[in-house]
Amino acid sequence: MRIIVCVKQVPDTTEVRIDPKTNTLVREGVESILNPYDQFALEEALRLKAERDDVRITVLSMGPPQARKVLLKSLALGADDAVLLSDRDFAGSDTWATSVALSGAVREMGGADIIFCGLQAIDGDTAQVGPEMAQLLDIPQLTYAERVSLTHDLKVRAEQQMEDGSRVLESDTPVLVTCVPTPSFVPKVPPMPGILKAMSKPYEVWDSKRTGADPSDLGLQGSPTQVRRTYSPPPRGEVVMIPGDTREASRSLARLLIDRNIVGGAD
Amino acid sequence: MAPSVPDGCARTGPEPLMRGCGAMTGFDQETRDLILESLREYAKQNLPEEYLLELDHEGEFPREGLKKMYEHGTLGVHLLLIPEEYGGLGASTYDAYRVCEHLARIDLGIATGIFATFLGLDPIRVGATDEQKEIWVKRVAEEGLLVSYAATEAEAGSDLGALTTTAKRVYEGDRIVGYRISGSKQWISNGGIADIHLVLARVEMGVSWFIVPADTEGIKYGKPEDKHGIRLANTVAFTMDDIFVPVENLVGGAEGLGLSQAQEVFGYTRLMVAAFGLGAGSEALERVVRYAQTRVQAGGFLMDKQGYTHKLIVPHAVKLAAARAYIEHVAHRIDEGDGDLQTEGAIAKYFSTNAGNAAAEAAIQALGGYGYVREYMVEKIKRDVKITQIYEGTNEIMEMTIARNRWQDHLKTRSTLFHEMSRRMTRLHEKVSNVGADHMSLALNGLNVIFERCRQQKLTRNQHVMFKLGELSAEAEVAMVFCETAAMDEYSDAFPYDREMMKAMARIRARQAAHKILLEGIELVMGAGSGDAQIMVEETRMYQIIAAQKGMVQDMDLVATKIKEVFRSR
Repeated sequence: MRIIVCVKQVPDTTEVRIDPKTNTLVREGVESILNPYDQFALEEALRLKAERDDVRITVLSMGPPQARKVLLKSLALGADDAVLLSDRDFAGSDTWATSVALSGAVREMGGADIIFCGLQAIDGDTAQVGPEMAQLLDIPQLTYAERVSLTHDLKVRAEQQMEDGSRVLESDTPVLVTCVPTPSFVPKVPPMPGILKAMSKPYEVWDSKRTGADPSDLGLQGSPTQVRRTYSPPPRGEVVMIPGDTREASRSLARLLIDRNIVGGAD
Repeated sequence: MAPSVPDGCARTGPEPLMRGCGAMTGFDQETRDLILESLREYAKQNLPEEYLLELDHEGEFPREGLKKMYEHGTLGVHLLLIPEEYGGLGASTYDAYRVCEHLARIDLGIATGIFATFLGLDPIRVGATDEQKEIWVKRVAEEGLLVSYAATEAEAGSDLGALTTTAKRVYEGDRIVGYRISGSKQWISNGGIADIHLVLARVEMGVSWFIVPADTEGIKYGKPEDKHGIRLANTVAFTMDDIFVPVENLVGGAEGLGLSQAQEVFGYTRLMVAAFGLGAGSEALERVVRYAQTRVQAGGFLMDKQGYTHKLIVPHAVKLAAARAYIEHVAHRIDEGDGDLQTEGAIAKYFSTNAGNAAAEAAIQALGGYGYVREYMVEKIKRDVKITQIYEGTNEIMEMTIARNRWQDHLKTRSTLFHEMSRRMTRLHEKVSNVGADHMSLALNGLNVIFERCRQQKLTRNQHVMFKLGELSAEAEVAMVFCETAAMDEYSDAFPYDREMMKAMARIRARQAAHKILLEGIELVMGAGSGDAQIMVEETRMYQIIAAQKGMVQDMDLVATKIKEVFRSR
């Protein structure tokens, strides 16, 4: 069974600050990490691998050469081999061009039984690449999956998170699954022996030609989305400090909310 | 690169079990980065500050936490220091220093617990038979056995010759089948939680190491010590009352090898304690630099005030950078098979732990009230780092070791030891003129004069003189190596500073070291012997060292400005 897990290197957004003067992100000195959604997806894939003898996991990423770091981490966590799509032709890709490149690479690899993606990346938060890849590869997709398992007849079963509960979905393979971490998820740290093993696992860097995609569909050229401006919304409204002990402050707050018609008051 | 040391310093090192005395390559940078990142991530998830502070408050050793760190699938931290043939990963000395520094940044008590296992394995590494290594080192790798190094006794600390624990032979017919050990051990790290102890005891043919399972009948354990610092480390005393140990557990299978086995690895082990001092001190310093960029007093950030930075930050950042340069220098030499380097290990330990302790002390001062309360980590770091000046040989023993060896080197080389080093600095200054090598050339030349005066007037009969010479030698050699490091085209990624800053730091250190060496050296000779002060000042060219202080404040300004960019406030 072949599993491909798509991963992305992202800035650690818990460390990113806004420059108060320019209102832009200060990325300097901010560490790059494996997107936590992707790590959850990888760990789901590794769980399936632990249950069966015939699973091979490839991690796939697109990015600059530095993205090697997150692929090595994925290998150290237990993936079998890694492919990095890295080429100037990919520069400026939006989610669509990214999906074209990644799905092209999947096709070139001969496809997969299951493709895992994180629901979204913590830098862009679009949640589009997974579904777009499924569309481009013309395979079913199971989204918002919290828990993934295999049935005895090798169907993929996923517990899908809904706003008001969850439902269990099943699909034949090949299938693409996007994962969302459970609230209790703690990303695993690569153990020392895994790190040493990772260094000798197969690792390939592919240029744009190897994805088999039309160059006009890649990078800035292939990106229908244009980012016009990035900014931090200015803070709105005033800050009101409510003094007093809990009881007194609660009353004052309730009165204030009623006075401003934010909540309805009891007649 | 290496100080020109006569034979005796480049003695044959131990067998290449944990690390080699043949060339040792270790990990590439990418692997090491991942390893260090894993350590940091693991600590962030499992050892948050509040948890560490709570354990520190209770004086509690996190046994389960440590065992978990040993699980191969969780972290397998202990495997880093075990060679591949015994199921480990085979880190080089350089890798081990980086790992030890990182562990110390997380918690020095936990670091001590992990390190105690390796210290405990040392007698096995150095002196055990192949069968013993095969059994015990593999068991530590595979099962994560915790080990203690049980040498110290109430009357035998720095002086292991005063050992009173005895091991009596047990015969079956003519054959020795085991030993009965009686005696007490004190200040034993991991003593109360180890699975096996390495016990040093006096046998008929001399002092020997024994591998003693912790559950052996007849061992009584004391309560964990209520310590000033490293309160997450387990330190206990235990008493052995006629306990039986089979003959297979006599390390090396022969009696009387214990003391030499204990001495043989000090170069390496003391380098790791140096890394502890460096890690703890650097952690305290970096916390202060970040804090002082947000703390406003009298209309400006503390980090923008010279009175603050040039006293509490810059000198410590400089000393810690010098300590790192020296540790790296010694680590590379050990990895290149340059023997166990006992003097250099002692210098590294002495200088780095003093620098770490001083930096943590200054960090408390720099944080004011926040530094003095237990709610914040710096107060704990200061208490923790103090131990590095005490264990693995007190820093006074280091002064003695350095002094004794360098004194012998001085005599053997017919008073050219420091003169040679001085010439080395002159040559460096001709190539790279802005790393303070000219100041160090003067200082080393002056140190040579001071050593000569001590020889001519037989001043080393005074123990005080001897120890002081050890201190001044360490000061000189560390500053010298720092000049050489700052002059290199490339230095290791462990230095977060750019070239301009490294060079300024090397100049500051060279000036400070030169001034200390000459001033205190002259004082020493005048204080212990006789002679004309004027002549001493002229012979050591003290005036030139005073003149060399020119530019000091500007260099400190540069370091104070740049260090803010390196450790930004969060």
